[in-house]
Amino acid sequence: MKYLLKRLGFYAVAAVFAVTLNFLLPRLMPGDAAGALFARFQGKLSPEALEALRRAIGISDGPLWKQYLDYLWGLAHGDLGTSIMQFPAPVLQVVWTGLGWTVLVAGLALVLGFVIGTALGILAGWRRGGLIDTVLPPLLAFVGAFPYFWLAMGLLFLFGFELKLVPLRHAYADGSTPAFTFSFIADVARHAALPIITVIIATLGGWMMGMRSAMVAVLGTEYLALGRAKGLSSLRLAWRYAARNALLPNVTSLGMSLGFVLGGSLLTEVVFSYPGLGFLMVQAVRSQDFPVMQGLFVMITFAVLTANALVDVVTTVIDPRTRSRES
Amino acid sequence: MAAASSGSRAQGFSLFALIRSNGRAQVGLGVLAMFTLVLVLGPLVCGDPSDYVAIPYLAPSWQHLFGTTGQGKDVLAQTIVGTRASLFNGLVVGLAVVAIGAAVGVTAGYFGGRIDSALSLLVNVLLVVPSLPLAIVIAAYLPPGPYQVALVLVATGWAWNARVLRVQTLSLRERDFVLASRVGGEPHWRIIFVEMLPNMGPILLTQLVGATTYAIGAEVGLEFLGLGDVGAVTWGSNLYWASNDQALLTGAWWTFVPTGTCIALVGFALSLLNTSVDEATNPALRVERSWRKYLGTVHVKPGMVTPVVGR
Amino acid sequence: MLVVLALGCRPERAKAPAGVLTLTAVEQQATWLRNFNPLMPGPRFPSQSGIYEPLAIYNSVTGEWVPWLATAWEWRDDANTLAFTIRQNVRFSDGQPLTAEDVAFTFELLRRYPALDQKAVWKFLDSVKAEGPGEVVLRFKRPFVPGFMALAHQPIVPKHVWKDVENPVTFTDPNPIATGPFTQVRLFQNQVYELGRNPDYWQPGKPAIDALRLPAFPGNDQANLALIDGELDWAANYVPAIDRVYVSRDANHHYWFPPMGTTVMLYANTTRAPFADANVRKALSMSIDRALMVDVAMSHYTVPADATALSALYERWRDPTAVKEGDWVRFDVAGANALLDAARLPRGPDGLRRGGDGKPLTFTIAVVNGWSDWVRAAQVIARGMKKIGITASVHLLDQGTWFQQLQRGDFELAVGWSIEGAAPYEFYRWLMSADTVLPVGTAAPGNWHRYASAAAAPVFTELEHTVDPAREKELEAQLQHLFVAEAPVIPLFPNPAWGEFNTTRFKGFPDAQHPWAALSPNKLPDVLLVLTALEPVTLPDGGAP
Repeated sequence: MKYLLKRLGFYAVAAVFAVTLNFLLPRLMPGDAAGALFARFQGKLSPEALEALRRAIGISDGPLWKQYLDYLWGLAHGDLGTSIMQFPAPVLQVVWTGLGWTVLVAGLALVLGFVIGTALGILAGWRRGGLIDTVLPPLLAFVGAFPYFWLAMGLLFLFGFELKLVPLRHAYADGSTPAFTFSFIADVARHAALPIITVIIATLGGWMMGMRSAMVAVLGTEYLALGRAKGLSSLRLAWRYAARNALLPNVTSLGMSLGFVLGGSLLTEVVFSYPGLGFLMVQAVRSQDFPVMQGLFVMITFAVLTANALVDVVTTVIDPRTRSRES
Repeated sequence: MAAASSGSRAQGFSLFALIRSNGRAQVGLGVLAMFTLVLVLGPLVCGDPSDYVAIPYLAPSWQHLFGTTGQGKDVLAQTIVGTRASLFNGLVVGLAVVAIGAAVGVTAGYFGGRIDSALSLLVNVLLVVPSLPLAIVIAAYLPPGPYQVALVLVATGWAWNARVLRVQTLSLRERDFVLASRVGGEPHWRIIFVEMLPNMGPILLTQLVGATTYAIGAEVGLEFLGLGDVGAVTWGSNLYWASNDQALLTGAWWTFVPTGTCIALVGFALSLLNTSVDEATNPALRVERSWRKYLGTVHVKPGMVTPVVGR
Repeated sequence: MLVVLALGCRPERAKAPAGVLTLTAVEQQATWLRNFNPLMPGPRFPSQSGIYEPLAIYNSVTGEWVPWLATAWEWRDDANTLAFTIRQNVRFSDGQPLTAEDVAFTFELLRRYPALDQKAVWKFLDSVKAEGPGEVVLRFKRPFVPGFMALAHQPIVPKHVWKDVENPVTFTDPNPIATGPFTQVRLFQNQVYELGRNPDYWQPGKPAIDALRLPAFPGNDQANLALIDGELDWAANYVPAIDRVYVSRDANHHYWFPPMGTTVMLYANTTRAPFADANVRKALSMSIDRALMVDVAMSHYTVPADATALSALYERWRDPTAVKEGDWVRFDVAGANALLDAARLPRGPDGLRRGGDGKPLTFTIAVVNGWSDWVRAAQVIARGMKKIGITASVHLLDQGTWFQQLQRGDFELAVGWSIEGAAPYEFYRWLMSADTVLPVGTAAPGNWHRYASAAAAPVFTELEHTVDPAREKELEAQLQHLFVAEAPVIPLFPNPAWGEFNTTRFKGFPDAQHPWAALSPNKLPDVLLVLTALEPVTLPDGGAP
């Protein structure tokens, strides 16, 4: 329990760090958020109108500590500022549109990548020198060395544009209404398939190798040799002893790797026009919508921290060893 | 995972022995050597990559081996010059990342106490904050230019190295020879630089290789998004322009395939090298060899410790 | 399972139902948020010209004014007053009639909320009053005939709805009550929205289209994929190698890229030596290979600018003699060198030219990072300047910084857009009129290079009073001659107005053979002319394709 509290305290510190960094960045950096607003309208607006707009968006001045307090106060009420591109929509509203889709893609990619990769790792670790162990590692390492977005571009072109097997963009068919029907869910799956597959392909190697190494380490321990000596069957040994013990390090890195998978899915979303957070982020970068950019950063960080905290809670409950473990 | 397996390293690690004995190290180094050759000799052969040499979207031909871009520039020249810039940037960022990581990690591990608590907290916080969104936000605020992306990558990339090196320092600190120096009253800097760092040679090497891989990949990603100096010729900007000129639509696969393949080859070679060094120096992986003997199997490919986390 | 779902069943491509026209227009956004407020910049298309409507429409292809919510207008007492006659029998989509009160109320809103006054009409307006239900009278502070366009193009909102809006600046107008052809928001999702036709539109039988569908595209790539795939009926995208990529795929695929967008300029800051010298500016201009620039930066989709800098938008004003005089837009390195030698900027032993202070001339060209056409254009400029002994480096800035430097006059050379109007008056006013020059350090909405032409001042003043078309034409020609003689800025090329259409499902689009209006759905408010003219294609059996 004490361990868990300590971890949660750590996540709180990390959250404060991210929030503070988010506050300081625009104030320390030379870029001018308000200037982006001017550029957006390409001379279509009179200077008087722009000045009035600037005030309306609320680019505030005042002593730094007061701005910080205002910022924290706003944040506590879910106020992340006003979007420049989507004026007068609040940033939270913009971010909200993408959160679910990213959680879906990144979450599924993470879980599926983990499950498939770990299974392959167990197989490779147990039947070392076998087909899986010989062919897959170098292949996956090579494929994993390509940039995510590059793979995504290639897959989209091949399966979406040339073969017309999957839709070219978006999370579901334009015009269909979200509902809990089979056809809608199938539609969502069709749209999410390629983005998810891209991330899985790129991360599979990491999971597989991680699990394989852990298997190898566990197989080297003495009690396994003991088990073998006792005449336990090979399969039983592989699963009951080796895999179960090797699994834990992989599970603990699950939470940590969420940030990584999320990063990858952000780039992938851009290629597939998948309306998640990454897509919004790149859009905000291109149009210099600083409030949205920062709101997304805070949102993503909070999501990752929450996921990590959940993983910690789960592993503490599952595995008694962690309770006494040092961070 | 890398952290877990780096508890203690074998002394007397030799790069030459590694190359002689390990086929994968040979492949990795071979690919890297080829690229080095290209980036040294290439610019002598190819023309100015920003010259408009022919009509746009020209398919590969004898005149232009890799064809031309959507702007009519020579793809081969762009790939070669891009290789130079990207590898150089990657190495510099990699060195900086390892240096900062070492400074923080060794300081934390060696001095311990409050310094350790504070630095470890910082490191762990940085590790848990998603790095790509952070890098994008910082890069967006920095003025565009050649140092923008490098700076961002160094700032967001060193935490993992610091963590690994801290663990390493903690174990080294308790070794007899270090303890002896400390009792003997040698200054801290001497103990750190003369006694401890040389003993971390292999791990610093794998870290450098890993950090360079990270830097190259991350730089390509950020530049592809249009952050950084899109006027410079690098792998990332090549892909940015290819996408900008809508290479897929026009079927101009030759504008992005060479660069993508180069990135993958270099990344692959670096990871091969990393694995080999890791394997040669990591007792945890050596266990496998004994296990292999026990099982009597041949052709075992020892595992690659690819850190899923953080990279 | 995902793979099976994804690859096993071949999905039906999202084809819109019959009568629903799918298009992409002005904005490319990752996600749609519901905002139809026509008085603010950047509402969802076609809020300003399609949901809401203006008093009259300037057809930028034919150069004619088309009466719209106003049937007629008249200048009175020496252009001090302008009166609009409001069309009868126009109803808002809630059934209430449009009256002069609504028009007066709209302008009143702009006065009360300066953020809504996008064209700063209250700088020259004194009062706006409804005289009975059928006439609106606008009194001016001073005669300002060129202000007509801003007034006539103002979208008109209903008083009975907007008088209760608490803050029209932040109002998102989710269910617009308007007079236009498409007023019914049938569907609104983050990735697509649909606007149904106004059943009681004032033009009987129109629009013939049942609804507009607008999918959200984050950028050109995705929009182009949909266009080529035949999903988009109408678009305003930049498409590379369009003949091969789009037109050759289907006989129904067409495009028209008339060079009638804003003219892209190289601005030379005239407050800095040596750019105060017209001959130096002309020499720079002559060092630029515009033919190459048009090829590499614009995929040959436009033409090099002539020395009047006017785009095809002002075709009927263009003065051929002025064009002929402007020899400084020709690529002529020898001529440029001769001009620079004469301007006492001699070459040093290294071949680099020296300025007045004896130091080599080196300049930066400020460009927006990521605006790839401009970046390439700047690269071509830098190459040309190298040939005349001047070192120029392309300086990539983010949008905000670039625009700030431009506005404050804090740059040496910069690539930028130019400001458009109905006539060359507005265009040239922002390039060489003394009253648009602001001191360096103060943000200027235009005339960033800070150039005042003494000779042009009386011409501008006279144009502000002139309502006689013949005299207006003479004065506009004079401006062109002055521009050509003084070279206040260096024109590069007019931007094309991108426009593609697919005649499989809809017909009636304007094109190069039928140039009755602008094709680009980006062109506001011209788009209303096209929106009300398009018709669905019907097959011989009466069905839709």
